[in-house]
Amino acid sequence: MPTIKIDGREIPFESGDTIIRAAHRAGIDIPHYCWHPGLSVAANCRMCLVEVLPPPGRPAMSLDILRWDAAKQDYVPAAKPKLQPACQMACASGMEVLSDNSDHVSEARSAVQELLLLNHPVDCPICDQAGECRLQDYWLEHQRKGKRMRQEPVHKPKAVTFGPTIVYDAERCIVCTRCIRVCNELARDPVLSVRERGNLGEITVSPGRELDHNYTLMTEHVCPVGALTSRDFRFKARVWFLRSARTVCQGCATGCNAYLDYDPRNNTPYRHRPRENMAVNTYWMCDEGMLSYRHAVEGRLLTALVGNDDASLDDALAAAKEQLAGHGDDPSKVAIVLSAQHSNEDNFALYHLATTYLGATDFFVSGKPLGEGDDILISEDKNPNTRGAVQIAAATPPRPVAELLQGIASGHYAYVVALGSDLEVDAGEAQRAFSRLKGVVTIAAHEGPLAKAARVALPACSWAEAEGTYVNGKGLAQRSERALLPHGDARPAWELIGRLGRALGYETGWKTLAELRRAMPPGAALGGAAGAAAPAAALGAAPAVADGARVEPKKTEATA
Amino acid sequence: MARATPSNTWTKPAGRPIAGKPIPRPTRSADVQAYIPEMVKGLGITMKHFFKNTKEMVLGQKPDPVLNALEPGVTTISYPEEKRPYPERFRGIHRLTLREDNSPRCVACLCCSTACPAQCIAIEPAEYPDGDRRKGYERYPSSFVIDELRCVFCGFCVEACPVDAIRMDTGLHAVPYDSREQFIYRRDLLMSLSDRSGSRLTANTRHEPGDPTHPGLSRDHADH
Repeated sequence: MPTIKIDGREIPFESGDTIIRAAHRAGIDIPHYCWHPGLSVAANCRMCLVEVLPPPGRPAMSLDILRWDAAKQDYVPAAKPKLQPACQMACASGMEVLSDNSDHVSEARSAVQELLLLNHPVDCPICDQAGECRLQDYWLEHQRKGKRMRQEPVHKPKAVTFGPTIVYDAERCIVCTRCIRVCNELARDPVLSVRERGNLGEITVSPGRELDHNYTLMTEHVCPVGALTSRDFRFKARVWFLRSARTVCQGCATGCNAYLDYDPRNNTPYRHRPRENMAVNTYWMCDEGMLSYRHAVEGRLLTALVGNDDASLDDALAAAKEQLAGHGDDPSKVAIVLSAQHSNEDNFALYHLATTYLGATDFFVSGKPLGEGDDILISEDKNPNTRGAVQIAAATPPRPVAELLQGIASGHYAYVVALGSDLEVDAGEAQRAFSRLKGVVTIAAHEGPLAKAARVALPACSWAEAEGTYVNGKGLAQRSERALLPHGDARPAWELIGRLGRALGYETGWKTLAELRRAMPPGAALGGAAGAAAPAAALGAAPAVADGARVEPKKTEATA
Repeated sequence: MARATPSNTWTKPAGRPIAGKPIPRPTRSADVQAYIPEMVKGLGITMKHFFKNTKEMVLGQKPDPVLNALEPGVTTISYPEEKRPYPERFRGIHRLTLREDNSPRCVACLCCSTACPAQCIAIEPAEYPDGDRRKGYERYPSSFVIDELRCVFCGFCVEACPVDAIRMDTGLHAVPYDSREQFIYRRDLLMSLSDRSGSRLTANTRHEPGDPTHPGLSRDHADH
């Protein structure tokens, strides 16, 4: 593989790489604002200027300048090398680049910083970029001095509402055009543009339009300064109090990798951020997915319900035992509903209980009904684990819930043990059907038609409160970390299923998550480091796209 | 063979009587036996200070024990009627500074509560209501509480505040209240305190878009 040398260090590059991309891959950070690994190159911020040494035997490209001579107290003619933007300069074999080792480059970075901050208001205290700001970071790394301009800076509009999700502050904008490129290239909806030039430049929305496509929050996420802020997150939390858990988005079957940022002091999630995974979502997430962090705490089932009345967990388990009394007489009368909303662990626990102890043979999968999708990231299947649930019960292929209702109508079933709360069928119809049964027990994290239809509902943890493995639409199994502590009486669903089994008099073989995972078929649960993705080929699915190494968190563009 | 542990010089040595140190008794001379001359001498010193202080008080010549603390002659101050002034940089009870329209300058950025090593500051931020010209621009503290019992008066909050909203220049120190609740200083109390000259005006005016003092655009230009 050809190599280039950056500050004396040899790094390999692939054909067509730019210097900054090769350096980024090798873990060398060349400061930049406008460059983003997932977007086209604009080369307008000039922060990534580097010195490229001339080829052997060739003169350096240099610029004639005047430099202040302190001894002579006058400007004297001098020359300096022509610096190149690393984001645009293609690598060539044997190229030698000076980034941190060149005085010319440090001087240029300091000057670029000074230029960018000329008209930038020092309203850091009220700016909600709060500690995630490149201007602050690079000021400390590369500038460390005040600006020389003493005139009043140019003032531009503040707090302009761009759309339902985004607020724009033109004064803070450094016109890096990342947001414009996100709209053009990711969302393919060119709704943003620059108007005016030089220090009057600002971002503007197309006349008659709002910034309202499905990826508006990405424009905020890629903004390196505090110009774009999300109406959902601004003024809500300070980032230095937040901790991040590596989770998998639950919005649809794409299974985008995300960071769930939460405040451990009040056990509250505050936002979802995309986590880089080249095999799944590259650097992006959709608005719906980024806002779906709220479901970790909203609409939750927080106490056990017995006949729609609150009950303690022990009482509910006793009631469940009563409900399911007599299920052993005819195991074929027991229908098991797995959930496409729950993790592999939860589904396997129920499947294991059903096949090993209850003797059930009929399996169904519940989940949210199909929705709108696009060809970018959003999948029509709004369930994160449809594929996982189907694969868990591959021996006895699960059927849709509509068939369960038919079976109930024809009197096939007397008992239902269900996971999850969502139904893709009409809720009223399901409720009427379930009311004819002898026993309905649900383990659900959220309130929903299935939880309402059940006589006994046990409160399960949401994805943010329990570890779990999810298989996305492509067949890639991904692990999601626990972020929050369980709210209310919620416990992980697999644990509740184990307790339900023991309440029914069975000695289920697992009491901890590790024991459960050992009992699972290989590939259904991931070993090793949390967050690492492994191929789900063992599940008999199509070959998985495995790119586990990329999931490891690092300070990348996506976390900026 | 193990040696005996060295004897502890602070305890009585084993097996030996305590050796006392003889102290000679004072000689009983006549002037020591007769205490009256000594008593008169002491009374004389008292009377000397009495007449001196009375004369200075009547003539208004008494040096200020606070301002002339190093002058000869004055050895005590009549606390609490007289108090030593604190130095200029004394860190007393906190106060929250105000804007010209008497709203708090604090923008609830939480820098002070983050910097506080005693974790005695609790702030609840809120957004300005609809129609307020600061709505969407910054936030304000709907609740600002300092637990003065926890505070270690290090001044980090003052250092950390980027908008000069919190100061410790009141010159007050926490008085001995009779319940813990009284040491919990809330927003309105903190905003009502002044600096030691009694002023609540700020020395650092902020020019915000929309203010008459602001040389740039008004925020009305924000409408596209």
